Amino acid sequence: MRGKFLKVAVAATATTMLATACSGGGNDSSDDAAGQAGGELRIYNAEPAFLLPSAGDDEPSLYVIRQLYSQLVKYNAETGAPENDLAESIESTDQKLWTIKVKSGYTFDNGEPVNADAFIRAWNFAAYSPNGQNNGYFMKKIAGFKDLQSTDPDGDGPKKAPEPKAKELSGLKKVDDLTFTVELDTPFSGFPTTIGYPGFSPMAKACVDDSEKCNETPIGNGRYKIEGSWQHNVGINLVRSDTYKGEPGKADKLTYRIFADVDAAYASFQSGELDVMYTLPPARYKEAKSQYGDRLFELAGDSLTYVGMPIYNDAFKKKEIRQALSLAIDRQSIIDAVFDGRQAPATGFIAPSFQGARENVCQYCKKDVEKAKALLAAAGGWPAGQKLTLWANAGAGHDQWLQAVGDQIKAALGIDYELKVNLQFAQYLETADAKKFTGPFRLGWGPDYPYLETFLAPLYSTGADSNNSTYANPEFDSLLTQGDGANSIDEAIPFYQKAEDLILEDLPVLPMWWRKEAAVYSENVDKFVWNKVSDADYGSISLKQN
Amino acid sequence: MGRYVIRRLLQFIPTVLGTMFLLHYITSLAIQFSGNPVRAIFGDRTPPPALLAAVTERLGYGDPCLDQKGNPCFGLFLDRMQKIFSLNPDFGVNLRLRPVTELVSDALPYTLKLLVIAILFQSIVGIAAGVWAGLRSGSFADNLVKISTVFLISVPIFVLGLVVREFVGVKFGNVLRGQEWIPEVISRGVFSPGFKPDYPLASLIIPGMVLGAVSLATTARLTRTSIMENLRADYVRTARAKGLANKRVIGVHTLRNSLIPVITFIGVDIGSSMAGAVVTETIFNVPGIGRLVTLAARTGESSVVIGVVTMLVLVVLIANLLVDILYAVLDPRIRYE
Repeated sequence: MRGKFLKVAVAATATTMLATACSGGGNDSSDDAAGQAGGELRIYNAEPAFLLPSAGDDEPSLYVIRQLYSQLVKYNAETGAPENDLAESIESTDQKLWTIKVKSGYTFDNGEPVNADAFIRAWNFAAYSPNGQNNGYFMKKIAGFKDLQSTDPDGDGPKKAPEPKAKELSGLKKVDDLTFTVELDTPFSGFPTTIGYPGFSPMAKACVDDSEKCNETPIGNGRYKIEGSWQHNVGINLVRSDTYKGEPGKADKLTYRIFADVDAAYASFQSGELDVMYTLPPARYKEAKSQYGDRLFELAGDSLTYVGMPIYNDAFKKKEIRQALSLAIDRQSIIDAVFDGRQAPATGFIAPSFQGARENVCQYCKKDVEKAKALLAAAGGWPAGQKLTLWANAGAGHDQWLQAVGDQIKAALGIDYELKVNLQFAQYLETADAKKFTGPFRLGWGPDYPYLETFLAPLYSTGADSNNSTYANPEFDSLLTQGDGANSIDEAIPFYQKAEDLILEDLPVLPMWWRKEAAVYSENVDKFVWNKVSDADYGSISLKQN
Repeated sequence: MGRYVIRRLLQFIPTVLGTMFLLHYITSLAIQFSGNPVRAIFGDRTPPPALLAAVTERLGYGDPCLDQKGNPCFGLFLDRMQKIFSLNPDFGVNLRLRPVTELVSDALPYTLKLLVIAILFQSIVGIAAGVWAGLRSGSFADNLVKISTVFLISVPIFVLGLVVREFVGVKFGNVLRGQEWIPEVISRGVFSPGFKPDYPLASLIIPGMVLGAVSLATTARLTRTSIMENLRADYVRTARAKGLANKRVIGVHTLRNSLIPVITFIGVDIGSSMAGAVVTETIFNVPGIGRLVTLAARTGESSVVIGVVTMLVLVVLIANLLVDILYAVLDPRIRYE
């Protein structure tokens, strides 16, 4: 342990000395109280899906892309509030037409400038549906998005989809070299907070021209750049970029080791071969907590698990039935029994860490058997002899807690239940899309951007893509529209909160719990940094130097 | 001999084609019954239909027969075969758009190294232990080999792998890593709890030994019985009677004949070692074929499953052919005409 560490430290000091010698002392902000620069940070990661910012939308991809690419906006580590990063200013008078000025002097790793074109090019590339970029979905608020989607000619499965009408988003217009305007379809007050998501990164021309190559050897514009190429299933090595104009990264090197199995990674961590793991094997959580104590970082996260209500089914049309079911469940006892306490019970629809979230607003989220029985009776009771079918996808460990939910409902309300947990994820999601659930169904939701609207509009507004319960309430929709059109985030929040109040009463889904994030780090780490929005911030983590 | 080999090679063709069709049918059925794997990529976020259609088409799951339960999708199979057996073999792409040929060529070296380590370990240690026990029937050595091999055979490989990782890699390894006089290639390479890119070969030694362990037990037992049987054979008595040195009687006459069943076993075992690699590679994080096919089967990437399993079938076929040829070398009575 010690031998290797010393060597790393010596090498690190040597490189730091070299680096300071070269930079001529002008830029010594790295030696402030926030921890010294230098060293190699060894990071656990799963195999990313893509390293192209327009395509990578899963956790392992984002953890790498965030260090390779900078966006217009970054999030404050403590508060999660958006702050300008590459943007000089983002302004709008009507929340519909946004003018964005980009700071000058930033470049890509290949020397191309980061200017208005770099953003327009990247967003057009992502939105154009034949490119099949997973993050294209994030561009859908920009005017002209529909014209970039190929439409299914006969509506029964893909044959040969025709070319989309346009290749470029009509809502993106270049003003001058560093200024561009974004026109949205409808006003959206939260637009500046959304564009810190890595899907909105700029892309170099060389990258868009050969996106496959850029996926293997990214051409980034961030604090770190890739060393060599992506070694699939083995590792990704990043080194600090010396051309980056913003605040430089702490560690000299970020070494991502790729594991297929989180248990194998934990064994490596125990052997001192990893410095950070952003997650833990569930079975090892208790052990890690006692073994690593203050080197285990925990935070109630923003991934919601919910039990959706098929409102399209007659049995679930009355809100009293849904309220009664929710009141029959003791969330904390299930969390303790099934998850070793690694979840936080939900008391509202918006993640507790979000601006505008309120504590304990859900009056139906606490167990109250008497009230549940009264509500059920008021709604005319549960149809006699009918079983409650609880749905979840197979093979992901959901059966256990869903069974606990069923048992509690049965004990409280006398409704017999059955589990339907044999569908594979793909088929399960297709059932959800086709609205064919016959009973409460498990699904989850993670935010797309740190703005409370992300927990409301996509899930519960009429006809929204992910509105699996088919909830429809014009009043809710209109409150969201008012929030979207408000002059500032502060003015928008009350509208969203009123909208939340509506679904707290109607319960289109039963919010269950928020996942608690748990990360461990090694003794080599001096200061561990967890960003409230973008999670573990590897570039800001400093290592002990001695 | 040459004609025999050609005949065997020709027999490969229907076997491989049959396997490919079976795989194609099974993976198509899986999609027909458990849904479009492309939809699962998007998870809780319902994708716009146009995007889902575009991605599905691009990844090669767009054929309408994949919606009809039970349809064997002959058209799609012919399509796939045409692409595979063209001048520019194309096995398709995985869900992340990487060509299967590239995935396999990335993963194959790791699995081959692992297999070589496993086979070397199982044949050297296994045959040595078998000979040692076989020559001293009923002695302490014999009992030791008998008991330890029973132990190895009765422990499933995933239990063995996990125990070795936790106790040898983590616990014992941490003790070694605390000793500064031990070279790092030992403490951080060989005794690492899994594959490490810094020590690509050293860190494969223990996973390879775990993979070879179960077959080692069988190899040792086979060698032991075979040696004991041959020691009583007439030709050994003749050899002794004509005054040959004991070394020559055992080393050349007995051993050579005793190894025939052992070689068969090791050859056939390459196939099941490949299956064992699925488990060991996952436990020890080796980025090889086994890990690849496990992940692919889990996410329903039919192109990867077809590509990799076809290749495994070829490996088994070739290994079996080599074993049959080796017979002729070992046993002069066997001739292929």
